[in-house]
Order: sequence, then structure tokens, then C-alpha cells
Amino acid sequence: MSAIIQIEGLKKNFGKFVALNGVDMTVNEGEVHAFLGPNGAGKSTTIRCLLGVLRASAGEIKLFGQDAWKDAVELHKRLAYVPGDVNLWGNLTGGEVIDLFLSFRGAKYDKARREYFLQRFELDPTKKCRTYSKGNRQKVVLVSALVSDVELYVLDEPTSGLDPLLEKVFQDCVKELRNKGRSVLLSSHIMSEVEKLADRVSIIKEGKIVLNGSMNEISAKGKTLEELFLSQYKSI
Amino acid sequence: MSSVWLATIAASALLLAAVYPTLFPDEISMQGMLATLNNPSMIAMMGPVYGLESITPAIILAQNCLIWFAIAVIVMNIFFINRHTRADEELGRQEMLIALPIGRLTNSLSVISMSFVLNIATALLIALFTLIANIEGGNLVGALTYGLSIGMQGFLFAMLTLLSAQLFSTARTTMGVAFALMGISYILRAYGDINEDLMSYVSPIGLGLKVEAFYSNNFFPIIILFIEAFVVAAVALWINLRRDVGAGIFPARKGKAHASKFLQTPIGFTWHLLRGSFWAWAVGIFAIAASYGSVIGELDNFIMGNDAIKQMLEGTVGASTLIDAYIALLGYMIALLISIPLINCVNHFRTEEKRGRLEQIIATSVSRKAVFGSFILIAALEAVVLSLFSVLGLYATTYSSGLVTLSTLIEVTFVYLPALFLMFSLAVFLVGLLPKLRSSIWIIFGYSLIIFYFGRLFSIPEIATKLSPFGNIPQLPVQEFSVLPLIVTCIIATGLCVVGVAGIERRDM
Repeated sequence: MSAIIQIEGLKKNFGKFVALNGVDMTVNEGEVHAFLGPNGAGKSTTIRCLLGVLRASAGEIKLFGQDAWKDAVELHKRLAYVPGDVNLWGNLTGGEVIDLFLSFRGAKYDKARREYFLQRFELDPTKKCRTYSKGNRQKVVLVSALVSDVELYVLDEPTSGLDPLLEKVFQDCVKELRNKGRSVLLSSHIMSEVEKLADRVSIIKEGKIVLNGSMNEISAKGKTLEELFLSQYKSI
Repeated sequence: MSSVWLATIAASALLLAAVYPTLFPDEISMQGMLATLNNPSMIAMMGPVYGLESITPAIILAQNCLIWFAIAVIVMNIFFINRHTRADEELGRQEMLIALPIGRLTNSLSVISMSFVLNIATALLIALFTLIANIEGGNLVGALTYGLSIGMQGFLFAMLTLLSAQLFSTARTTMGVAFALMGISYILRAYGDINEDLMSYVSPIGLGLKVEAFYSNNFFPIIILFIEAFVVAAVALWINLRRDVGAGIFPARKGKAHASKFLQTPIGFTWHLLRGSFWAWAVGIFAIAASYGSVIGELDNFIMGNDAIKQMLEGTVGASTLIDAYIALLGYMIALLISIPLINCVNHFRTEEKRGRLEQIIATSVSRKAVFGSFILIAALEAVVLSLFSVLGLYATTYSSGLVTLSTLIEVTFVYLPALFLMFSLAVFLVGLLPKLRSSIWIIFGYSLIIFYFGRLFSIPEIATKLSPFGNIPQLPVQEFSVLPLIVTCIIATGLCVVGVAGIERRDM
């Protein structure tokens, strides 16, 4: 199995504040990799470095074997990203934003799939983004990502605004991606979601990865993911 | 925010009341000013002339300034009310308040009382500062009618905005409708004032001028404005009580389900973000150019006995004729104005970035350079288009006089393109390299503005003028054309752009 994402010794400082203090992480081809950690632990910062939005202070990030910062524009054709905090342009409709992201991403996509996912997520594409709720904004970005036929999906807390029914739809979509051999990096707070979907898990704490393992190893220890997660943070 | 507005308005009231008497030292200069004002185009702009037989500087002050103060205060009120009503509701904050054990109307009622206090405070501050300046012809009753007319117009528009916030479900439409009402009042007033008919009384802005401050001191319009505000507030509250939180009476329009081909390109996308302000400025520049152009036929009257303006025109180096000096001055002033939206255009990149929207674009295969470059390109386009609108505006109101040719106007305006290029390139440099210091561009703008005003009234060293991006541009048609400073300005600007774009490619988003 080849590594799609390979992060080694990633450090990121904002002025004197150390946000990431040596993150090591590998995501293999075809796996759903869960990325766990409390707010402020460095999940989104790691993802932003991965996407070339932030520049790493030290360390190395390889995406598909290439440098995540230098080759960002080319690499981004092969991935789709859903941010945790979705801010959209109030004056554009959901449909327009979806088309915009699809074209900007530059990856191929099927027009029929666009309609399919709009229906599946029950999204009205004719509404202006400023009238969308948080959940609906998230759906806009999710649809645009899922429609794209890419190798890697980077999803940063993609379901925090979705209701349980749509949460289920989302889980089905991720399973379908895995069945097609796509790779997913899924940062999440929802343990049940992760337990259902993930093949492997990385847990981050204060800018460092504290646990890295497959779900099988974890269940072999006889612990639930939640117990494991909480045990990492008990000392705080 | 409102406190900044208040302070600015009060300071302007004091400054203007202090400056006006020096502009019009004697009866002749005042009559000269009134003669200039007493023609249809000026009446359309600033309202009817009054008090001709017993003219004082205070009357001229009110005549010239009341309407502009009123508009500034109305704008303040529209922002204030929208922020605390529909904008709050749109962000879901009202919902949290409604969930508390407070009444459905609590927010509206507190907004009404707050805006009443705000406007009365504005009125009293304007009155007080006008009195402090001890302007000739000023008195307590006059200052109060002056201030209260302004304040009550503000209050009426606050209530109209409140009503608009009940009717429309988005902050943008709420504000758009409120500004449209202001525009309509202004136009109705212009129409009514020229034709001396009822429309001047229908328009709140027209009604506000009927107080004839420092002359007849008529309180009646102020009372009418208050009653109108009261009625509008009652209607707004009535609707507020009957509608759902988050909803309006008129639903939001349906939009397009698909993006156009143009929108799917970085430049098309950026254009979509900036086009609103682009066209608003185009119209604004046209209107300003047209209104300054309209006085060209009466320039002699306008200047007669007005030492400050005379000095300013003569300060335009080597002025051959009055008209040439005036045109040169206008070219400089309008170029300064045009630089504002260009800077805003480039700074909008940072705004997008701070709102967290840009990272979604950067995460696609569109490069940073392509996005930032689109903002820069639109700024460049805006420089050309706004200059063109300025020429059109000037020509529209001057061609009948036969005093200036179209080619002169084009030269005078377009010679400033390199300076405009330099101004937005400074913004590019700051946003690209020192995003946290991007506001310091306004220091350079302010400096250029000060040089523009005082450089003509007082003699200042040439180097001080040259430090301003505008100071090196030959002031046509008065000064001789020389291409070297234009080339140098363009080279510096290009350099700043290159460094700025390189900065964007290297820094965190």
C-alpha cells in the first residue's frame, strides 16, 4: 500500500505560539483515516499545512509523493477539501458555489452526479448562500467535494451542522468512496461516526500525534474509541 | 462605531462654522456666493436659497451644509439600525435574545429609543459646536433648528430602516432599500426645489431644509418629521409583532441553480465580488464630476471675493486662466477620489482572507497568483473606467459652455493613471507582504489629501509635494506635460506589484 499523505516532523509556529510541535502521520491509499483531537489541538492547522494554505515552519509534507507547498496547485487537482468552518459568499447561490468549486478544482466530474448528490442531501441550489443555515452551507461544500472524482478527500469536521438523517447519508457516501478505493482524511469529534467509518486513527494532542493505530488494534485492546480518546486527555 | 461618526460630525460642524466667516468676510462676497447658488443646477444640488435681504455667514453655512450633514447623519442611522436589527437577526443573534424572558418587541423598542437618543445627541452637538464657533448671525434658536432638522431627518430614516428590516429578510436588501429611499428623497427634493412645488415637502430631506436655519427658524418641519417618524415606527412595530424571527414580509428571491461560464473563472469570480462597488463608484464619480463641471460657467461669480478659493486656484502653479486652473484642480481632486475604490478593491482580497473564504479557493487548483492577480486586474480596470466616467461627467455639464474641449478633459484626467496605478500598487505591496499594516495605505492617502488642500493655500517645500504619489504628475492643462515622471511612477508601481504578488505566494493565508 502506498502512502497518499506523509507528514514528518511538521512544526508550525504563529509568532511565539507553537501550534504544531512535530506531527508525524501517514495516510495510505484506499483507507479512511480519522483524525481526532479536541478543539485547539492542531487538527485544522495540520490540514491547512497539508493544503498549502499555511506554510510549515519545519518538517516535511508529501502529498502523492510531491511537496505539499511547492506543488500545491497541481496536487489540488487530485483532492477535494471540506473546511470545518464553511463561509460562503452571501450573494452567490448554493448551485453557483458548487459549480465554482468544481471548475476551480479542475478535476473531472459527472453532471448527473451533481443532481444526484443535491437530491441526496436535500439541498436547494437556487437559494443565496446568505440565507443558508450552517448545515446547509456545509452541504454545499460537501456536495461540491463528493461530486468531484478525485483520489483524496480531506474533510474537516464535515458533519458538525448536519442532522442525524443527513449524517447517515454522509456516512454512506464515505463508505461508497472507500469501496471505490478512494482515500479519506476525516477529522471529527463524533466517536460513533469514526468507529463506523475509519480504518485507522491518529489522535493529536497539543500539536503532537499521541496515538496512531488501526481500528482493529484498538478493538483488540477491548476498549472503545471513546475510552481510548478520553484516556489520552485524563491528565488535563 | 456610532461614536466615531458622532465625533466626526461634531468636529466637522465646529470646523465649518469656524471657517465659513473667513471665506465670506463681507457683504459682497456673500452676495457673490448666493448668486452662484441661485441657479437651477446648484439649487438641485443643495436646495433653495433664502435670506437674500439679510444675509449672514450663518445663513450661508446652513444653506451650504445642512443637507450634507443630514445625509451623513442619515447614512449613520441606516448603518446603525441595520446592524442592530436585520443584520443581527440574519446572524441568528436575535434568536438567542428572544429565547430569554424578554418580549418580542424589546429589541425594536430599545433600538428606537437608542436611535432617538443618538439623533438628539447629534442635533445638540451640531448646535453646540456651531455656537462655540461664534459664527456671525448665529444664535441659540438658529443653532437648535439647524441641529434638530439634521437630527430629526436622521431619526426618520432610522425608523424607515427599521420598517425595511421588518419587510425584507436580508440585511443587504434592508440596507439597499433604506439607501434607495434616501436617494429618492434627494431626487424628489431636487425636483421640488427647482419647480417650487409640493415635492420638496413630501421628501424628508426637502422638508428638513424648510426650517431656514438662522433666518426664519421655522420649527414646524421638525415637528412634522417627528410625527412621520412616529407613524413609521408604529407600523414597523406592528409588523414586528406579527412576523416570525428571521423572516420578512417579502421572501428572498430565487437565484440561479448553475454558475455562468464567466463566474467559473478566477477573474469572473473576483468580478462578481467587486462589481457592486465598482458600478456604485462609477455612478458616484460621474455625479461628482458633473456637479463640479456645472459651475464652470459661473466660475467668476463663484470666485468673486472668495479669497481662499482664489488663493487655492492661483496656487496651482503658473495658472494662465481661471478655467484652466479650475480644471487642473478638479483633475487632481477626482484622481484622489478614484484612488479610494482602487485601494478598497485590493484590500478586499484581505477581507476575503480574513473571513476564511479564501482558503477554500486556495485548496483548489487555482493558484494564489491567479486570485490576487484578478483583484489587481480589476483595480486597474476600475482606474480606467472611473477616469472615463469622470471625463463623461465633466463633459456632460461643460460642453454647452464651450469653455473646455473634450480632449483637454481626457488629458487632465488620464494623466493621473500612473498615480492611481501607484496607489493601488502600494496596497498590493502591503496586502502581499505586510497584511497587518494594510491600513497604513490610508496614511499615504491622507497625506496626499492634505498636500492637495494646503499645498495651494500655503507655500510648502516641493519635496513634500513630490512625496505624494499624486505630486509628481504634471497638472494639465496648467503645467507642461512631461512623460518622465509618469514613467518613473509606473516603474515604481510595477515593482511594488511584483513584490506584493511574490509575498502572497510565500505567506500564510
